[in-house]
Amino acid sequence: MQTFAVFILPLIIVLIPLYGLIKKVPVYEVFVDGAKEGFQIGVRIIPYLVAILFAIGMFRASGAMDWMITGLRPVLSLVGFPADLLPMAIFRPLTGSGSVGILADLIAVHGEDSLIVKMAATMFGSTETTFYVIAVYFGSVGIRRMRYAVQTGLIADLAGIIASVAVVYWLLG
Amino acid sequence: MLNYIWGGLIIISLVFAIVQDTADLMTDRYLNSKPWEVEIKFPEDADKERRQSVRLGLPDNSEAITATWRPVDDQTEVIISVTDKLPKHWQDVAQEQEARDKNTLRAILKDFDSQTGMATIVLPEVRFVKIRAIQTAAFDMAEFAVTLAIGLIGIMALWLGLMQIAKEAGLINLIVKAVQPFMRYLFPNVPKDHPALGMISLNLSANVLGLGNAATPLGIKAMEELQKINPNKDEASNAMCMFLTLNTSSVQLLPPATLVAIMGLGVNELIVSITLATAVATIVGVIAAKWYARKYPEPSLIENGEEN
Repeated sequence: MQTFAVFILPLIIVLIPLYGLIKKVPVYEVFVDGAKEGFQIGVRIIPYLVAILFAIGMFRASGAMDWMITGLRPVLSLVGFPADLLPMAIFRPLTGSGSVGILADLIAVHGEDSLIVKMAATMFGSTETTFYVIAVYFGSVGIRRMRYAVQTGLIADLAGIIASVAVVYWLLG
Repeated sequence: MLNYIWGGLIIISLVFAIVQDTADLMTDRYLNSKPWEVEIKFPEDADKERRQSVRLGLPDNSEAITATWRPVDDQTEVIISVTDKLPKHWQDVAQEQEARDKNTLRAILKDFDSQTGMATIVLPEVRFVKIRAIQTAAFDMAEFAVTLAIGLIGIMALWLGLMQIAKEAGLINLIVKAVQPFMRYLFPNVPKDHPALGMISLNLSANVLGLGNAATPLGIKAMEELQKINPNKDEASNAMCMFLTLNTSSVQLLPPATLVAIMGLGVNELIVSITLATAVATIVGVIAAKWYARKYPEPSLIENGEEN
């Protein structure tokens, strides 16, 4: 599967223009025409990214997280959710690089073969940086009002987080 | 919703930073203006009126610390170079001090006995650590956001160009035909044979295969197609919300590259659990999005569109 993955991108990049040539599309002109948009989109998402990232950056730096963990620890241990996973669960939807750091910390503290790390890695792999996706995708078309997209995104994340813990307990625990 | 989360993040940061800083001041966590006893060891025949390298000895620390002796008019600075040989508390002070340069610690000499070399020094004061931290974080992240967006431009242009070819060559139409039955269930409001369905399925396939850098440009392209058929250009349509939900819970068969980078081969053991967890997330997300879509039919049909 991993070897297969290496070939996917080069194949796509080659096959699309090839197919275009067969269909007698002026591939170079059309490519440039489509690529033009890349710059506008990059610039268009800047305000959305700044808004999301600076708020998340402040939250991370304030240390509010540590207090939350202390407060939530007894509640979580009641339902069998390891409190050490809380930073991962909260930061995963907020920041990609932050959650990578948290995962690296957990590996350093608990070791790679611990159940906690397996749960955290499953969490990391099974959910996305929701707020980044929201900023980039909605930002690229200039949508400011997201209606229920934030809720459904977070509901999906929550389901993924709970499922990660449950599945790892069940399969590897 | 996002308004509250966003505002909440900022306000919570400020409140917690103030609480933490006040607590630090009350408990004197950084032992501000505490005199530390040290023994200053000069080289042989040193002229103590001149700037020079010295060694510091601490009562409870056998390691000698290197520092610079720097007499100024009325007081003497002892500039300590920060290493992990320093006492833990000194390292913390160095890390949290206001001075930009975290590699030196500028202590002030208080008492000095030139016969024995025994002296007391005072470390720089440390205050308002968290307030300064959130301010730095805000500015740094604002800068980082631009770097991130600019960094996306190249790869985005590449994929948008390729997609334009695929569209003109009729490749997207073929894909739309193939995925139509399944996609029609998830996106009932997208017209039949619309290219948006093709872009969406390309984005989802890129996610499934763990091709992160292709998924984003394809997702943006899909978003643009959806925006074309969006009745209210300022507001997300039901199809967009569904698409976003699918993306935040991205189904994947291959683990993301970052995870492979951190975990190495250990990741293979987790593929099954990741796939199961992500499937649960996706199913729950789709059900939630469907439920919301039924509750709020389409923005244009709602009299006042403020549905947060």
